[in-house]
Amino acid sequence: MILDLARLTWTFLWLSLICVGGGLGVIPELQRQVVDRYHWVTAREFLDGYTLSQLTPGPTMLVCVFVGYHAHGLPGAALATAAMFLPTAIITAVITRHWGLLRDRPWARAAERALAPVGIGLMAAGVYTLARTGVHDWPSAALAAMAAGVMFVRRVPPVLAVVAAGFIAWLAAL
Amino acid sequence: MSDRVRLSRLVQVFAWTGLTSLGGGRTAYFYDALVMRRPWLTSHEFIQDLTIAQLLPGPSFSNLGVALGVRLAGGRGGAWGALAILVPGALILLGLTWLYFHVGFTPKTTSAMHGMGAAVVGLVFVTTGRMIRTAVRDLRALLLSAAIFLLVGPLHVNTALVIVLAVPVSLWLYRPRSGS
Repeated sequence: MILDLARLTWTFLWLSLICVGGGLGVIPELQRQVVDRYHWVTAREFLDGYTLSQLTPGPTMLVCVFVGYHAHGLPGAALATAAMFLPTAIITAVITRHWGLLRDRPWARAAERALAPVGIGLMAAGVYTLARTGVHDWPSAALAAMAAGVMFVRRVPPVLAVVAAGFIAWLAAL
Repeated sequence: MSDRVRLSRLVQVFAWTGLTSLGGGRTAYFYDALVMRRPWLTSHEFIQDLTIAQLLPGPSFSNLGVALGVRLAGGRGGAWGALAILVPGALILLGLTWLYFHVGFTPKTTSAMHGMGAAVVGLVFVTTGRMIRTAVRDLRALLLSAAIFLLVGPLHVNTALVIVLAVPVSLWLYRPRSGS
């Protein structure tokens, strides 16, 4: 039990370190570890947990709460979450603090300009991946277009558009 | 560095934005809250922080919270910003996890979840379009970001590999030149 809890913590720790460019990239490896290797959840549960984490506030990687809870209850959820977020948050804080002091050097400016297209490309790829799973028929395409229209006009908070779409889909039971 | 924003205000806005950012593509909501609705950051600064958050190891959304928090209110801003983003969502997901394993979901709930997922795609599409307009200003940027999009998106190439290959190319394209 204690050994498996340690394994859970260690697994989420090293998985957090290979999360580069958004959480989607790590999903295949995450599934291999928690489903095939350690059997903390089944493949079906993993998919449902991932969907839940997509649709709750906060990072998608909070799926570690779902897996950790099913494996070892509250201690499992807490340790998996800490392992996933704490070490990398500390790395980011240290690097961004120092980056602030270096920002005005010519090479640092060049690096920032060089990194922007990389970030934009990754983000566009993220939209593509989301669209592949989220928009699969005419009704879902219509809901996506409605939300895009609302966001474009920007008179309504985005969350209202999302909740409204959920309500419409609930009524229609798509 | 002096703080741009009071810590309590930062926690309030980050927690609210985190809490209302349903669905994937959460960065879009932060762009809307901090750049479009409040004068806290320029679009350019936001994209820099987003890029750093994506390049460093770790879930990029919490990294983004840390990077934005540090920029707006120093080290404490980073710590509190990350907590404000994470804790509400973690508690909600814990509640849903409990429901899932002990009660179960109805098909109607599942279709509501799918409808919300579709709306999120529309939202992130518009926000990403806005960011592309700000960040992609020359041919180099256009070709690089298009290549990365194709490799990571439709072609399913490993993200880490694409980053390792693209960053040196981009650094070389944007190297500081004397007189420029």
